[in-house]
Amino acid sequence: MLLLPAGLAAVMAPAIVLAASGGGGGFDGVVHGIESRYHARATKIPFMGLISALAGVSTHGGVHNLHLAEFENFSGPIDGEELNTIVTQHIGEGWQRIVRETSRSGTDQSLIFVRPEGNHLGMMVVDLDGHDLNVIQISVNPDQLSEQIKEHRSHHRDDPPAED
Amino acid sequence: MKRMVFLAAIAALFLTGAGAASAQDQLPAPSPIEKQLAARAEHVTEVTLDKNMLAFAAKFMDKDNDKEGQAARQMIQNLNGVYVREYEFDKEHAYTEDDLEGLRKYFESSEWSPMVKERSKGHAEGTDVFIKLVDGKMQGLFVLDAEEKELSLVLILGPIDVDNLGKLGGNFGIPKDAMKKAEKKVVK
Repeated sequence: MLLLPAGLAAVMAPAIVLAASGGGGGFDGVVHGIESRYHARATKIPFMGLISALAGVSTHGGVHNLHLAEFENFSGPIDGEELNTIVTQHIGEGWQRIVRETSRSGTDQSLIFVRPEGNHLGMMVVDLDGHDLNVIQISVNPDQLSEQIKEHRSHHRDDPPAED
Repeated sequence: MKRMVFLAAIAALFLTGAGAASAQDQLPAPSPIEKQLAARAEHVTEVTLDKNMLAFAAKFMDKDNDKEGQAARQMIQNLNGVYVREYEFDKEHAYTEDDLEGLRKYFESSEWSPMVKERSKGHAEGTDVFIKLVDGKMQGLFVLDAEEKELSLVLILGPIDVDNLGKLGGNFGIPKDAMKKAEKKVVK
């Protein structure tokens, strides 16, 4: 009898943790920070959790924890320094900015933050291209992923050449 | 109470000393000139990787089975930092000779030696390569490459294998051209 509540608790635990973390930092924090500063609303991608799970399975754990928020018709241009400050303030602890690209026109801005997550590398990308702003978070296992790529390459090499 | 103050003072001294020792291999804070250049540039790219991140990022490089590939990975894993700044301008020579001189001055210390000094006649263009030698081994490299509409700064800290210098180009935002130039001149 105890198995059902225990199983439910195990299934619900990640959701509870995610809900509790809310806009405190990480992906949600960054998205909320951008939303509130620029009075914009991120488009939710349907079945993102499922897509993330499928990516994890298909890459044998090479890629997981996929999050994507899309701001369409974003009212640009924006100040690169300000965007950098907002993201840095909301991203939370452990993240380190490795790349920043800015254009004087303000219409192209890219920020890449990373953090080690055990065997994985967590990446957070904030990219403004004209009027489209995307926030992407992904966790990648470089060893696993390079194995997958190698396997994929060797499969293609083994394929017989296509006949016209 | 006196003991607490004494201990705090000792701890502070220790921490300051430790900070000063490790600061030698820390990436520098951007100079005011870089901010001025960024304000003038049409497009700016900044890449900053510290030791931990480099060690981790090296895993992303192709796992070449050849000795050269492995040596390049090994070198990257042992580096202390990579600092790249690329400024693209819409007008030719949007930077001045004074800007370049200010950037070079940063490395005019006893630790760093100018290795290459290439100048174009009549324009503030050219390539500078500074190296940091410790006990006869290269422990740092600074490349300042100034072209008509582009200015690149590459600072690499840590043990550098000259033979694998060129392989750093194209990785971690390090411009290929600037590294090829540096490799040619340093190996020469």
